[in-house]
Amino acid sequence: MTTTLGTLGNLDTLEPALSVRQVLGLERVLAGEPEVVAGASQLDRPVRWVHVAEAADVGVMLTGGEMVLTTGVLLAGDEAAQAEYIQSLHRAEASAVVLGLGRAFPAPPDVMRRAAERCGLPMVVLHRPFPFAELTEEVQSRLVRRKFAAVSLSEAVRTALTGLITGGAPLQSLLDEVAAHSACPVVVTNLAHRVLATAGERSAVDDVLRDWERIARQAGGNEGDGWIRAELGGRGERWGQIMLCGYRGDTATGRLLADRAAEALVLHRMLGGSAHTWEEQSAQSLLTDLASGVVPARQLLPRARAAGLPVNRRTFVPMVVRDGDTAQLDRVLRLLGLPGLVAELADGVTAVLLSLPRDQDADALAAHFASRLRTESGALKAVVAAAGQRTVWDDVPAGLREAQHVADAVADSSDALELPAVVRLKDVHLRGLIRLLRDDPQVQSFAERELDGLLCAADEDLLAVLRTYLATGRNKSRTAQLHHVSRPALYRRLEAIEGRLGVDLDDFEQAASVHIALLAHDAQQG
Amino acid sequence: MSTVIRAALFQTAWTGDKESMIQVHEQAVRDAAAQGAQVLCFQELFYGPYFCQVQDKAFYEYAEAIPDGPIVKRFQALAKEHGIVLVLPMYEEEQPGVLYNTAAVIDADGSYLGKYRKHHIPQVPGFWEKFYFRPGNSGWPIFDTKVGKIGVYICYDRHFPEGWRALGLAGAEIVFNPSATSRGLSAYLWQLEQPAAAAANEYFVGAINRVGVEELGDNDFYGTTYFVDPEAQFVGEVASDKEPELVVRDLDLAKLREVRDRWQFYRDRRPDAYGPLTAP
Repeated sequence: MTTTLGTLGNLDTLEPALSVRQVLGLERVLAGEPEVVAGASQLDRPVRWVHVAEAADVGVMLTGGEMVLTTGVLLAGDEAAQAEYIQSLHRAEASAVVLGLGRAFPAPPDVMRRAAERCGLPMVVLHRPFPFAELTEEVQSRLVRRKFAAVSLSEAVRTALTGLITGGAPLQSLLDEVAAHSACPVVVTNLAHRVLATAGERSAVDDVLRDWERIARQAGGNEGDGWIRAELGGRGERWGQIMLCGYRGDTATGRLLADRAAEALVLHRMLGGSAHTWEEQSAQSLLTDLASGVVPARQLLPRARAAGLPVNRRTFVPMVVRDGDTAQLDRVLRLLGLPGLVAELADGVTAVLLSLPRDQDADALAAHFASRLRTESGALKAVVAAAGQRTVWDDVPAGLREAQHVADAVADSSDALELPAVVRLKDVHLRGLIRLLRDDPQVQSFAERELDGLLCAADEDLLAVLRTYLATGRNKSRTAQLHHVSRPALYRRLEAIEGRLGVDLDDFEQAASVHIALLAHDAQQG
Repeated sequence: MSTVIRAALFQTAWTGDKESMIQVHEQAVRDAAAQGAQVLCFQELFYGPYFCQVQDKAFYEYAEAIPDGPIVKRFQALAKEHGIVLVLPMYEEEQPGVLYNTAAVIDADGSYLGKYRKHHIPQVPGFWEKFYFRPGNSGWPIFDTKVGKIGVYICYDRHFPEGWRALGLAGAEIVFNPSATSRGLSAYLWQLEQPAAAAANEYFVGAINRVGVEELGDNDFYGTTYFVDPEAQFVGEVASDKEPELVVRDLDLAKLREVRDRWQFYRDRRPDAYGPLTAP
């Protein structure tokens, strides 16, 4: 981070409100008919203070950045003293010298002018008598007002951000607050320039993200153009950057905002824990927005690109993994070198969006990913469901929903089903259909009616046995094996089920009816 | 004919033993090939820990003959099976007591093309390499592989611009820079030096660094493997600084000509004025 936590903004680093040129342009100053007689190229120097001094050794009283006003009454007639006077101002880094013409100097003194020109010190003469006090009052009050405004802005921003942090607000709220003050897009990136979060007016943010590759590559950036960056880091480690994109106010205020924001983000992260959280949050909000379909896919394209997902001429494989660990999925993607995003959509439901070059065998790579996931995760039984590959970005949301549908459809009985490494729509058959119809009241009452005998007794064990028995295609030995019971014990349970339901499970139609009812029941639970 | 090649780099963490480390790398070859990668380079001393954190002659055992040792043979077969060019940074024993930090290059048909021996050998805390290696003495070879002309410049070599230039003059299109470098020491240089070398010499650079902290010391290897193009732009993202990762990227070799037509560094260099650089 570029600022120190806990200090109230170092006022000396703030850009002063006025330059020499600006001071000379003030209405009250113009009345004195100022003329620049030397150092005209240096008029943009900042004026930190205005100092009236009728002393030959004024240099020793200065600390730099002062505009010195004098009538030169002690210098008249002594050319060596005049030259030394200019030299001493130069050594003291005064910003300019203003000489009121009058009794001491009726015309600009040549020696002083030449000396000032040589050392590049702006020298201004006032042709009309002019009360210095008016000028000091005018400039001083402007400077003080600006500094006061900066301090109070700094304090206001800090108070707001601290309040959000202590209230447990998410990163996005902090950025929204910063964007409200800066009135321009705010972007947080990691060291690889991957965009982790943004705030500001949507269309302006999208404009920035659309051109992100180029912007991110401009290493230093030019603050003068309103691109203001502050480093994020702590404990000797740098891990990202916050950027105000096209800030329209003055650079000093922009820098102040960026620094306050950086402080707040560092605190937020220190209190919030893991280093990956922001990356995860960024992928999560993108994939959630994509899957929900609330925002049109096309509008999410800049965010996807900025999040590091290649999107041009790619094949997309939308997948949903049940009971997978997000970090584990991310590790496997990295290990295989597959470009993609991973994010948890809901508890135990994780979306994985692969983006592959067009010449790749997308199905084979999805299978490769799934089988490696099984190897890497050991005992963990993650179900990988995939939609058909999409070559158009606009089709990705439908793909994600299809994958989620497939994953949901097999959720309850993945053990019994002997699923392929990657489950697809064609593998879910009737389950898929029932899943889609689960909210229909007629389907619901059908399920109630068919299963009434088991449901009213709330015998979970019998229900589970029935589920496995039907899922395995009425395979008794496999069912016994999966439930760790002997075959005779299984027979007794099946008889009990038949008795409760009043059906003959050897009869295909009756078994099919119970199976559909059970699928509908499970779909409603899920 | 397309000038785009698919190239890969693999960064990983020490597994704890040599055989499983080799297996992890064999798997990486298969994973890279599954995505159509045509060339793959591993990290420095790929099948070992970074033993130069300590000075212990027990690790001399990691050295083996190149190309007649078992590891090269093993990966030659794999290269042939998958039709992939492999760059294998290894510990080489020319004869007992004559050891080098070397990279062997295998063509896509499994044939052995030759080796590069690291020239610049550091001797600083955590990087006691002079204990293990003689400085390289086999010049600046370029390997004419199925995917293009490849050079190798190993780890500490990267701080010396002369070798990068020598490889460029010899016609390298991609230079691989397998490394083992740790957080704190060089992280700020890592994204500076190789891109600068790529720009100065107008070729692609693939930089590989291992990840993790190993039992032999406190070096925290920060990965962040990447490819950089002749304009010093990263090709895709930089890899994780903590996790193993296979980096697969498409490199358009036509960019060399495009950039060299724009900036004529090779035409405008003045070797006649560089005599003092080679004075001993």
